[in-house]
Amino acid sequence: MELIVRRGERQEEIELDRKDDGSYRVTVGERSFEIDVASAGDILSLGVSDGRQFEVAVRRLKSRGHSTYQVSSNRGVDTVEVMDPLTYMLEQAHPDSGAGGRRVSALMPGRVVEILLEEGSAVEKGQGVVVVEAMKMKNEIHAEMDGTVAKLYVEEGQNVEGGDPLFEIE
Amino acid sequence: MSIQAFKKVLIANRGEIAVRVLRGLRDLGIRTAVVYSEADRSSLPVLLADEIYPIGPAPSAESYLRAEAIVDLAVEIGADAIHPGYGFLSENADFARMCEEKGVVFIGPGSSAIAAMGSKIESRRLMIDAGVPVVPGGRDPLPDANAALAAAKGIGYPVMIKASAGGGGKGMRRIDSADALPQAFREAQSEAASAFGDDAVYLEKFIEEPRHVEIQILGDHHGKVVSLGERECSLQRRNQKVLEEAPSPVVDEPLRRAMGEAAVKAAEAVGYRNAGTVEFLLDAHQRFYFLEMNTRLQVEHPVTEEVTGIDLVQAQIRVAEGHPLGPELDDIQIRGHAIEVRLYAEDPFRNFAPSPGRIDILRWPEGPGVRNDSGVYEGAEVPIYYDPMIAKLVVFGSDRDQAIRRLKRALTEMRVEGISTSTPLFLRILDDEDFKAGRLDILMLERKLASGEWMPDDQEDQGLLPFVAAAIAHAERQQKITTVTSTGKPTNGHRSRWREAGRRESVGG
Repeated sequence: MELIVRRGERQEEIELDRKDDGSYRVTVGERSFEIDVASAGDILSLGVSDGRQFEVAVRRLKSRGHSTYQVSSNRGVDTVEVMDPLTYMLEQAHPDSGAGGRRVSALMPGRVVEILLEEGSAVEKGQGVVVVEAMKMKNEIHAEMDGTVAKLYVEEGQNVEGGDPLFEIE
Repeated sequence: MSIQAFKKVLIANRGEIAVRVLRGLRDLGIRTAVVYSEADRSSLPVLLADEIYPIGPAPSAESYLRAEAIVDLAVEIGADAIHPGYGFLSENADFARMCEEKGVVFIGPGSSAIAAMGSKIESRRLMIDAGVPVVPGGRDPLPDANAALAAAKGIGYPVMIKASAGGGGKGMRRIDSADALPQAFREAQSEAASAFGDDAVYLEKFIEEPRHVEIQILGDHHGKVVSLGERECSLQRRNQKVLEEAPSPVVDEPLRRAMGEAAVKAAEAVGYRNAGTVEFLLDAHQRFYFLEMNTRLQVEHPVTEEVTGIDLVQAQIRVAEGHPLGPELDDIQIRGHAIEVRLYAEDPFRNFAPSPGRIDILRWPEGPGVRNDSGVYEGAEVPIYYDPMIAKLVVFGSDRDQAIRRLKRALTEMRVEGISTSTPLFLRILDDEDFKAGRLDILMLERKLASGEWMPDDQEDQGLLPFVAAAIAHAERQQKITTVTSTGKPTNGHRSRWREAGRRESVGG
């Protein structure tokens, strides 16, 4: 099985070959690993054939599409997208397909305390659109690209859950 | 004062400190009662307590800060005393006074001591009179920017502007030159006004690369005050402590004695009783300056407990019952080394964004020298309304190196899933050469964070881990779906535990 795996700007092509005993041969570019897999709930233990063991928790983020995973280990928490080559090709051919724009969702639960831009406003990459407060901390949620605010899904004072859509940039 | 043995104590707090106090009470055989907000009905202290009383909706102002309602409740349920924990009402002189008036013992100092130490300007004045060293600078509130300019000229730049009603870094700013002063003055005033309802600010000398070293003291109702040694709390972010240890890597016995004597003098100046902490700045030449006194139990009290063998919560209760401090406390010996980290529900590599939510998986570290003071459990919900600290992990070792290795071991064992925590940051700190050598100052953590040297490195071998892990999880999921669709039900006889888990999942719907 061939997969395109993306985290932020970095992207890797990963070839997975599942064996009868449930272990994998994993090829990333020039490098290849034999990996034995054990799991309990969301926790995954990866045993590499050179003896190294890595324990990670992998959770599927249901609200972020069918192939987005949150991977947490001692090095931190990463949000990773996994695509098969066909999905990837479609996405490359029609970069704006799907939701029609770039939807930004809440990373954690909180309360929307301020809307900084109205629907239809021009917005630059990195500019704040809404402010979400949780645990006495205010967090400005930014646009991930230049464009216009196509849709606001929230209003001031509204409580949101992690994964709830906040706004969409076109 | 006669001794009043407590039979029941009301805990006016939440989270890990409510649990810590509850444990102290239980260890003394005292019945425990807690108040809780609507958001905390299923929180750990509420599940552990003997008696539980709702005190209002989730926002603290409508629940944990309802001073009068809490005192009235204590009277109504026949509690002998109230333990305020830290934060919330713990340093509220009016609350302590209300307790005094209604005949409920406030486990803490008298209201007058809280009031005297609650104002930075007032406490500074008292300390100067008592002969406790303070940071050079003006001690009066500054009416305007011109007065501030004149004062700063006298002290010499850099100077620090501070809110007199301050705390937690609000209204606090470093000013390097006269040009920058007017704007910083206005900002500090408005921040102080909005945070504390009081815009009074003052200036003092800014001490470069200072350490934060504080002395734990304990006073009884018979005029005796003792020092229980120091804690090093220099690792801070936005003036909030992140990691604390005891003893300090740079404090030797003569300095410990000198700082302890100064702290006792500070406490005596306000007739202090119960547990308290005198915070000092310690400069590179081992000169120390009074910063402020915290008139309550500190978050980081466990490191002192570990190296002195004294249970501070129990000591607080005993003192409040009227017991005198015994002669065994006159010359406390420090044994070994303890380090505490504050586990926050936040993502240190995403600009410390708060991360409330449900804790799906929780595996605490165990084994020799490891203690966790926690306010959560697996399945618990971390609410959005309160401080993000969910637990404290404390390790004890025979020396600092062993404590550092133990903390690293403990953090590596621990798993918290469902929310992000500050754990990856602690692992970076423990690997840092300056930290390992004990070279600390109160700006170090901010400096290292700003430099980006602790950010996860994509080039290292482990950089591939999230990619490979996600790919394998995805493949396993596809495999499971395929198996289920092709046969109508999952196949048996495979050894993959993942598939076993998947089967349970699909059977359960």
